[in-house]
Amino acid sequence: MARMTLSGIKKSFKSVDVLHGIDLQISDREFVVFVGPSGCGKSTLLRLIAGLDTISSGEFHLDDRRMNDVAPSRRGIAMVFQSYALYPHMDVYENMAFGARLMGLEKDEVEKRIDEASKMLRLDPLLKRKPRELSGGQRQRVAIGRALVRKPKVLLLDEPLSNLDAALRSDVRLEIARLHREIGGTTIYVTHDQVEAMTLADRIVVMNNGKVEQFGSPRELYERPANTFVATFIGSPRMSLLNVERDSNNLGLPGSGSINVSRLPQSDERDLVIGVRPDAMTVSTDESTEGFKGSVVYTEYLGENTYVYVRLGDGTLVGIRSSASVDLPPDTPVVITVASEEIHYFSRATRERLAA
Amino acid sequence: MPGSPLVSRRLWISALIVPPLAFVALFVVYPIISAFAYAFFHWNGLARGEFVGFANFYKVLFTQPYADWTVNAFLHNVWVFFALMVLQNGVGFLLAYCLWRELPGAAFHRISVFLPVVLSTIIVGFLWKLFLHPLFGVVNISFRGLGLGGLAQPWLGQDSTALWSLIFANAWHMVGFPTLVFLAGMQRIPGEILDAVRMETESEWTKITKIVWPLVAPSATVVFTLLFVGSFNWFEIPYVMVGLEGSPHGATDVLGLYFYRTAFGNMSGSGQDFGAGSALAVLIFVFIALVAGVITFKLRAREIQI
Repeated sequence: MARMTLSGIKKSFKSVDVLHGIDLQISDREFVVFVGPSGCGKSTLLRLIAGLDTISSGEFHLDDRRMNDVAPSRRGIAMVFQSYALYPHMDVYENMAFGARLMGLEKDEVEKRIDEASKMLRLDPLLKRKPRELSGGQRQRVAIGRALVRKPKVLLLDEPLSNLDAALRSDVRLEIARLHREIGGTTIYVTHDQVEAMTLADRIVVMNNGKVEQFGSPRELYERPANTFVATFIGSPRMSLLNVERDSNNLGLPGSGSINVSRLPQSDERDLVIGVRPDAMTVSTDESTEGFKGSVVYTEYLGENTYVYVRLGDGTLVGIRSSASVDLPPDTPVVITVASEEIHYFSRATRERLAA
Repeated sequence: MPGSPLVSRRLWISALIVPPLAFVALFVVYPIISAFAYAFFHWNGLARGEFVGFANFYKVLFTQPYADWTVNAFLHNVWVFFALMVLQNGVGFLLAYCLWRELPGAAFHRISVFLPVVLSTIIVGFLWKLFLHPLFGVVNISFRGLGLGGLAQPWLGQDSTALWSLIFANAWHMVGFPTLVFLAGMQRIPGEILDAVRMETESEWTKITKIVWPLVAPSATVVFTLLFVGSFNWFEIPYVMVGLEGSPHGATDVLGLYFYRTAFGNMSGSGQDFGAGSALAVLIFVFIALVAGVITFKLRAREIQI
């Protein structure tokens, strides 16, 4: 069992507050990804869970045991570092055996565990090599192996793919997903890459400025983002946000006209932000079409699709996914129609989601 | 040199290299070689006598009283080496570890540990000679002030404490050097490696012995070699603090003092003997060169790439 409860976790370095009260409940065997832009506090939170930094205030429980003051090595948590942090003077076998021996395991048990881990991670031919004789991907596997031989309750991974080249990255990503299925422990994974987050996670914690913006499944985050930050952070190319004014069933955009929508938020706020993903809009050159008027800035041809970027009347730039055959020169006047059932509504004042 | 930049460049380089090379040749290489040569002659004062082969070496190694003096001085050097290995390099390593862990006041301590290294050895020698003065020295005054008058000793005046006092003064003077070298080595260890260790153990001892020390060992090569050379060439501190005789009665005699006394004589009038002195110098030189070579070679092989 490895159930984690974080309540009111705060961290400050001298006078700088890095985390402003984090509350999370992570279930046993869950794969949770912390994602957010750099400086959002996700790595700090991971280090607090590992015990490498001390929690300024708040409580961290692992299976009902308070962990705030427990030494990192006694938490039953193992960590894979961004730079892998292998011990350069030990070979692969020793790197894995070091921690296992320190746990006080019998010699046979240490050997058995290393054997298991090296089979699972295909490290057998590398056991006698020193870290400097390994490639980046191999080092990564050793770092994971070193964590696994300790049979931790919780496995922490800090940006594990960021030092690998693009081709290797997707391989290792699949590998990590497979390992999690096979071992079945609780895993926490930190990344700034939302694609990694979406593909790996059972649930994602989106963080920004030391706060949790939303905690939910990838589908929840994509389909019902809690606020404009999550809305634009998840999904690529990003969702466009438009500042509109509501007038009965019409949404008006200064300088671009207005559209009539069938679905509106329950709240009666007048100033709204609407979020529209690139595939929920279509672009038309027929100026009699009902929609927001704007002009083409540039187009990106990607083979399968073309993305058309259009400047609207109030200066907002929106990206629209169109068929590959579309080819519009810059400055072409266009009209954008929006699928009204795919509009996300947010309050202009709070930037929070408004239920429709 | 018109028309030929290459030639003028060579001239320019030569002009820079030749003077220091000549200086080293004249004041380092030539004396060493001439000491080798002197060791094989009989000397009457400064006048060279006949060629005597290995007689001078035989004299200092196997005839009395030279043989006893040689062994006595050599054993003291061995003591000094091992004592400094612990007091200077060992303490230096621990100091470096404390400074590296950024304990409170690290910035202040970093400077104060290294400050004595900057002082001239002569100054340090006189300073500690004053500190250790039996009546007016700050050491004994402090002991008496603390009510520990029983610990007050004539530090430099008795066999049991004299050599240790010199060793201590030397360690105080030079401890900053290994500290600095070790600290530099520790600062090269990536932070994530230390975090990785902390995930596996909370024992400082394991961290130091299994991770930090092996990773810092490359810097130890140079520190060990220099300490070895320094211990067997040891001269200034004992010369300033206890004089050429290695007083009291040879309790602090080391090869450096002994060689100097033999070659150049001393105040108390024992005659100078260039031949025996040169033979001693050659023996010390060969011993240091051989052992330092072996140390460097052996330790280099164990160095680790971080």
